[in-house]
Amino acid sequence: MQLVHDGEAQAFEVIFDRHANAAFSLAYRMCGRQGMAEDVVQDAFLSLWRSGARYDRARGSVRSWVLGVVHNRAIDAFRRDVVHAGRDVSDEGAAERMPAPQSTEGEVQRRDEARQVRGALEDLPPDQRQVIELAYFGGFSHSQIATMLELPAGTVKGRMRLGLTKLRLALGDPSGVLL
Amino acid sequence: MSDEDRIVEERDCGGDVAAYALGALEPAEADAFRRHMESCAVCRDELVTFQGVVDALPMTAPLHPAPGDLRRRVMDAVESEPQARRDGAPAPRPRSRLAEWLTPRPALAFGMAAVLAVAVLAGITLSPSSSPSARVISAQVTGQGTAELRVTGGHGELVLHRFSPPPAGEIYEVWVKRPNQSPSPTSALFSVTTKGDGDVDVPGSLRGVDEVMVTPEPAGGTPAPTHPAVIQADLT
Repeated sequence: MQLVHDGEAQAFEVIFDRHANAAFSLAYRMCGRQGMAEDVVQDAFLSLWRSGARYDRARGSVRSWVLGVVHNRAIDAFRRDVVHAGRDVSDEGAAERMPAPQSTEGEVQRRDEARQVRGALEDLPPDQRQVIELAYFGGFSHSQIATMLELPAGTVKGRMRLGLTKLRLALGDPSGVLL
Repeated sequence: MSDEDRIVEERDCGGDVAAYALGALEPAEADAFRRHMESCAVCRDELVTFQGVVDALPMTAPLHPAPGDLRRRVMDAVESEPQARRDGAPAPRPRSRLAEWLTPRPALAFGMAAVLAVAVLAGITLSPSSSPSARVISAQVTGQGTAELRVTGGHGELVLHRFSPPPAGEIYEVWVKRPNQSPSPTSALFSVTTKGDGDVDVPGSLRGVDEVMVTPEPAGGTPAPTHPAVIQADLT
């Protein structure tokens, strides 16, 4: 990461290669449109490059940092594109049935972890999963979600908290295990 | 009263933590919550635990490979503009045609990974006599086992025997080092068979490289070594 910080395009390319698929998957999940997802990922990586890649190891893995920027960029894109339609992803998971681009032990481990997190999310009561997905992947605020679901804002926040608490218990210590 | 209502009411200040972690507070609420956290260790601690969960949520997104031309677009843009300058920061080095050529390509990386996977699964070790011009360098190994770097036509292949597997949760990463430069990461990440055997191509050309190194790193690799080298092959 120091090499990226020093302006090494080649080192930055390595970062891109390692995290582009995860970044694009997140953006596609959030945007539901390939073109918009591509723009979000491009914006995110360029902002990382322009900022001199101010990565703070103490705040998590490189992947978490990259995906955090992608997440924020997608939400920015939603705000610019007010009429952001719901997801329209017809081939969900198709890529996961394909051979891994790099058949490394790390890739296998990452897929196992992804299955674990996905399973934990699917095991949540639907009303808790719904508010978490609307907030994180949809970029909606708790008050927007409350309006959509015709619920008091406190109930939405409570469901978020219960859901995240259950996920944390199901995953152990995700900050130490995942990503 | 529902569980959701109760959990917010029981300790009011904690009611915003999850929404904050999910980025679901309105901007003014988020500002107020940040101020609140300055004096509330309970909320700060809870946020840390929730943040770990939120950081894992992207993994639930169905995997979609990034389109091939996205990489080109991003790297074209990166090369066309410098990073924001910081005091004392060195100027970005323009990519030379050599650097361009050395850059691992996804298709190449895939091919190499496929070759490695097949070789490791089958327990195949390429014969050093596969090329009459191969140069074989015995690498310095930390711990048990042996490692050789076989150089043919400017390209290298590491061949390992009875080598220890990487620590749990880690993987071996291959680096190339040029004179007076820090080690540069390659796209080669690997493990070994249960017998400790393995062979892995070193991506790119070894021209101008004076050392090939291997370090154990967190799964997924890192852009700079975080552990001492366990294999060092001196090409000088």
